[in-house]
Amino acid sequence: MRFLFVDRILELSPGRLIRGIKHVTQDDFYLTCGDDGRPNFIPSLIGETLGQLAAWNVMCTNDFTMRPVAGIVSSAHLLRPVHVGDTIQLESTIDSLDESSVRYHSSAYVGSDEVFRIDSALGPMLPMGDFIDNETIRHQFNEIYRPGEHTVEIGDGTMHADDENGFIYKTKMVFDKIIDCVPGQSMVAEKLVSRSAPYFPDHFPRKPVLPMTVLLECKINLAKAFINRSNLDVNFEKCEMHRIKMSDFVLPGDSLITHLQVKRHDDDGLVLNFRSELDGKRVCVLDVVLPNSRKNHD
Amino acid sequence: MNTETVYPKVRAIVADVLVIDEDEVSLDSQLISDLGAESIDFLDLVFQLEKEFDIKIPRGQLEKNARGELAEDEFEKGGVLTDQGMIALKNYLSEVPAEHFKPNMKVNEIPTLFTVETFCKLIVAAANEKQSAESVA
Repeated sequence: MRFLFVDRILELSPGRLIRGIKHVTQDDFYLTCGDDGRPNFIPSLIGETLGQLAAWNVMCTNDFTMRPVAGIVSSAHLLRPVHVGDTIQLESTIDSLDESSVRYHSSAYVGSDEVFRIDSALGPMLPMGDFIDNETIRHQFNEIYRPGEHTVEIGDGTMHADDENGFIYKTKMVFDKIIDCVPGQSMVAEKLVSRSAPYFPDHFPRKPVLPMTVLLECKINLAKAFINRSNLDVNFEKCEMHRIKMSDFVLPGDSLITHLQVKRHDDDGLVLNFRSELDGKRVCVLDVVLPNSRKNHD
Repeated sequence: MNTETVYPKVRAIVADVLVIDEDEVSLDSQLISDLGAESIDFLDLVFQLEKEFDIKIPRGQLEKNARGELAEDEFEKGGVLTDQGMIALKNYLSEVPAEHFKPNMKVNEIPTLFTVETFCKLIVAAANEKQSAESVA
């Protein structure tokens, strides 16, 4: 199943700025049931879409010789769900770019609502040929690079379908096993990485690696499971992820152990620290920050 | 500004970047072998140091500093340090014990030598350079 999310690039200024759109439709594979019971685009994949948008700019700038990969994100803000029928307007600004790395920040909007924001992302650059052949990547780019303007019709966000409740979700981004749980304190879970996962053909044809955003979504869902078991009252709609760092690739066949720990829980909300390891070696760390539900409603 | 004055902040940033306790970090810790740093951690570290000390550290600056006056082909040939290159590197990385420099060392192995003090020195040099550029301007 395709793991390429930018539908159209509207504007590209090499090494500086890129704008594009993504339509969220019933044809999308990566949908999930939101807290409101409606089908949403999987939230972390809005971040993936913004990352891919920035990557298109970078790859076009260096004539498709190098590509950025996920590295460090200082903070990412999930501000509200995106429903079927929404069009996401995407914008990434390149803050610095050289042969070793790219730094950028990005925003995604639906209408005038900001739905996702990446404050600062830093991605190492690696040779394109390690991941995908040059002809394919150029073809993918040419397919979506159609500069111009796109007019967005703002509707009421209601899905044009007979029955939203009967919608069949095709994928779920979760850990496979909870190994240990101390409610209110910590949790340990395992994700087995299968070659048959639908994102591997695009991510990437020559080197299948687990997308960082898929791992982030699994962690958000693990946080939900932990909070349910701990009987905590927090708001997932305004989730922030801080100091995300992916230090190595996770490959099919790997078994990823993730440790979740409560770092802080006070009037401001809950901070959960995640550390994922392969054979005891750190591969991904981040903090998830969730406001208290009560505070949010005040 | 000198190595001693920047060290406490560098130590805290190194610990934060590598997700370890500050107690585990000392001035002579080697980032890769002692503290488990990966290549992405170097990117992160440089970015955090630039932010904290309001300096610019161009990528590859450490290698460039080590090369000094030598031309690129005097410093390395086919990715391997020349004898001259090795002397220049040892002079620049004076804080690294001699036994850590291997014969026929490759350029891409240089980061294995870096210690916390290496980064303190880098910051001091970058800050001094910034200061002299500002006074010239």
